[in-house]
Amino acid sequence: MFEARMAQAALLKKVLEAVKDLVTDANWDCTSAGISLQAMDSSHVSLVSLLMRKDGFDMYRCDRPISLGINIASMTKIMKCANNNDAVTLRAEDEGDTVVFTFESADQEKVSEFEMKLMDIDSEHLGIPEREHTATVKMPASEFHGICRDLSTIGETVQVSVTKEGVQFTASGDTGKGTITLRNNSSVDEESQQVVITMQEELSLSFALRYLNFFTKATALADSVTLSMTADLPLVVEYRIEDTGYIRYFLAPKIDDDDDEDNN
Amino acid sequence: MGIHDLSKVIGDNASHAVKETEMKNLFGRKVAIDASMSIYQFLIAVRSEGSNLTNAEGETTSHLSGIFYRTIRMVNNGVKPVYVFDGKPPTLKSGELAKRTERRKEAQSKLEAATEEGVQADMEKFTRRLVKVTPEHNRQCQELLDLMGIPYIVAPCEAEAQCAELVKAGKVFATATEDMDALTFGTSVLLRHMTFSEARKMPIQQFELKKVLEGLDLSQDEFIDLCILLGCDYCDKIGGIGRVRAYSLIKEHHSIEAILEAIKKEKKKYTVPDDWKFAEARELFKNPEVAPAKDIDLKWNIPDVDKLVDFMCNKHGFEEGRIRRGAEKLVKARSTSTQGRLDSFFKVLPGGAPKKRKSSENKAGAKKGKGGKVKGKGRK
Repeated sequence: MFEARMAQAALLKKVLEAVKDLVTDANWDCTSAGISLQAMDSSHVSLVSLLMRKDGFDMYRCDRPISLGINIASMTKIMKCANNNDAVTLRAEDEGDTVVFTFESADQEKVSEFEMKLMDIDSEHLGIPEREHTATVKMPASEFHGICRDLSTIGETVQVSVTKEGVQFTASGDTGKGTITLRNNSSVDEESQQVVITMQEELSLSFALRYLNFFTKATALADSVTLSMTADLPLVVEYRIEDTGYIRYFLAPKIDDDDDEDNN
Repeated sequence: MGIHDLSKVIGDNASHAVKETEMKNLFGRKVAIDASMSIYQFLIAVRSEGSNLTNAEGETTSHLSGIFYRTIRMVNNGVKPVYVFDGKPPTLKSGELAKRTERRKEAQSKLEAATEEGVQADMEKFTRRLVKVTPEHNRQCQELLDLMGIPYIVAPCEAEAQCAELVKAGKVFATATEDMDALTFGTSVLLRHMTFSEARKMPIQQFELKKVLEGLDLSQDEFIDLCILLGCDYCDKIGGIGRVRAYSLIKEHHSIEAILEAIKKEKKKYTVPDDWKFAEARELFKNPEVAPAKDIDLKWNIPDVDKLVDFMCNKHGFEEGRIRRGAEKLVKARSTSTQGRLDSFFKVLPGGAPKKRKSSENKAGAKKGKGGKVKGKGRK
C-alpha cells in the first residue's frame, strides 16, 4: 500500500509543469524514503531527476517499494481538476494497476476522487555519479528563465562561459549575436537575489537552448537555480524544492565535430 | 534472404528486444549500412511510372538517387552513416545464389509471357524480380559516396558480417540492414527500415541482441543454431521444422548435433538434407571473414560540391538545383557542432524496469503469436 498526502495541490501541479514538456511517460518510484522519478527525453539528450522526500508530505506511507508508470499528460489533466489550495492524496495498492487521486477543498466541503490507469513503462535507468563540478553558478531562477528566453530569440545554442569576472551567456544566429553577463553579487542582502559563482578553472560549454527552455518550466518551484558545469560533461540545472527535495536536469553538451574520437 | 522468420520468433518470445524509434532519435550515432542491400532496395523502389530512373544514355540511376537522398536524410538527422559493400560471396552461399539465379530466370520467362499478353501489373512485378545489383552499380555508388564525404568499406566477404565486426568493436553504434542475419553474426544493435523513404513513414525498428538472447533465453551459440534451423543463406534446413518447432527443439537440446540425435527415430517426420553443411554454416556465422575493425579508420569529410554536381548532373542527368541544395545540407551538417547524447556520459543501470515486470511478462507469453511490437498501454 502506498499513500501520500500533501497540503497543497499547487506543488504537484508545478512539478508536473516542470516535467511534462520533457517526458511523456515516466515511472514514479515510491519507497519508504519518498518519491523519485528519473526520465530521459525521447532523444536521450536530457534527463530529469525528481526527488520528493517523505518529510515534504503531510502523511506518507509506503509499505513496499512500488513504481507507478504514469502518462504525464493524463496526470496533468487530472491535476487540473484540483484547486491550488486543495489537499491531495495519492493512493495505490501494491498489486493494483491504478492510482487514485483524492482532492479535498480547504474548507473540507468538497471531495473529488480520480482513478487513473497505470502503464508498464520500459525505461532505462541511468546511473549518475555524484561529482564535484569545476564551476557552479547560483542565480535567481527568474533571471535564468529570462536569459534563456531572450537568447532563444537570437539562436539555437547558448555558450556558457565562466570566468573570474562572471558568467557569460552568448547566442548567435543568422540575425546577429547576443551576450548577457552576470557578475558575482553575493553581497546582496536577499539571498534569493544573489548571484554566486564558484569555480576552480575557467570553462566554456555550449548547450541547446531548446532544452534549457524546457528546464526553466521549473522556475515556479524555487527562488534560485544552480548550474553546475565541468568541461565536456553534461550540465546540471538544479531547483531545490523547499522542505521537500529537488528537481535536477541534466543536459549533454554540444560537441565540436573536428574529429571524432568519441562516444558512440 | 537473411534468416527465415527470425523476426517472428523474436516478436513471439522476446518482444521487448524490439523498439520502434524515429531517425531523429538516433542523432550523433554512427551507423554501418549494408550497402548492397540498400542499393538493391533503391533499384526496386526508386522508380517513376514503373521503370527505373535513367540518364541520357539510358543507364539506370535509381541507386544514385537513393544513396544521395537517403544519405542526406540521415546526415540531416545527425546520423553518421558508413556504407559497407559485399565482397566475394562465401562459397557456402553458392547454393542460395544458384537458387536466386534460377528464380531470376523464371521471372524472365514470366516477364516475356506477360509482355506478350500485355498485362501491365504482371510486367512490373516481374521486372522488379529481375533486379540485380551489378559491380558497376556498386562502383558508381562508391564514387558518389567519396564525393559526398561519406566513408565506405568493401568487406572481404559478407557485408553484414563486417558491419557486425564494426559494431562489436564499438566503431559504430548499430548495423542498418533488413537482413536479420546481422544478429546471427553478432551485431549488438540492428536497425531496420533505416534507408526507407521518408514518405513511407516507417518507424525504425531497433533490435538489441542482448535482449533478444535474454528473451529467448539462449546463448549466442544456441542462437546461431536456431538461425540455421530456421533457414539461412548458407545451407539447407531440415524439412518439417517450422519456427515454433525449431525454437522448442533448441530449448530442449541446445545444439543441432543433439537435435539430430534426438530426431533420428522420427525419420518420417523430418527430412535432414544429405551431407548437411550446418557445421560449416555455424563456423561462418561465428568466425566470418572480416577486416579487423582496428585497421579501419572512418572519416567523414566535407563534400566536394563541384565534383558532386558534375557527377550527378552532367553524367547522370539529375537536376542541378536539387543536387546543390542537397550538397548544402551535407556541408551544413558537417560544420555545425553536434548535440551530445546523455547516454554516452552516464551508464544505463542493469535491470531497467524492476519488479512488476514479472506478472506482465507471463501475460505477454500467454498471447503468443501477436508479435508484440511495442509495449502495450495499460497494464491489462
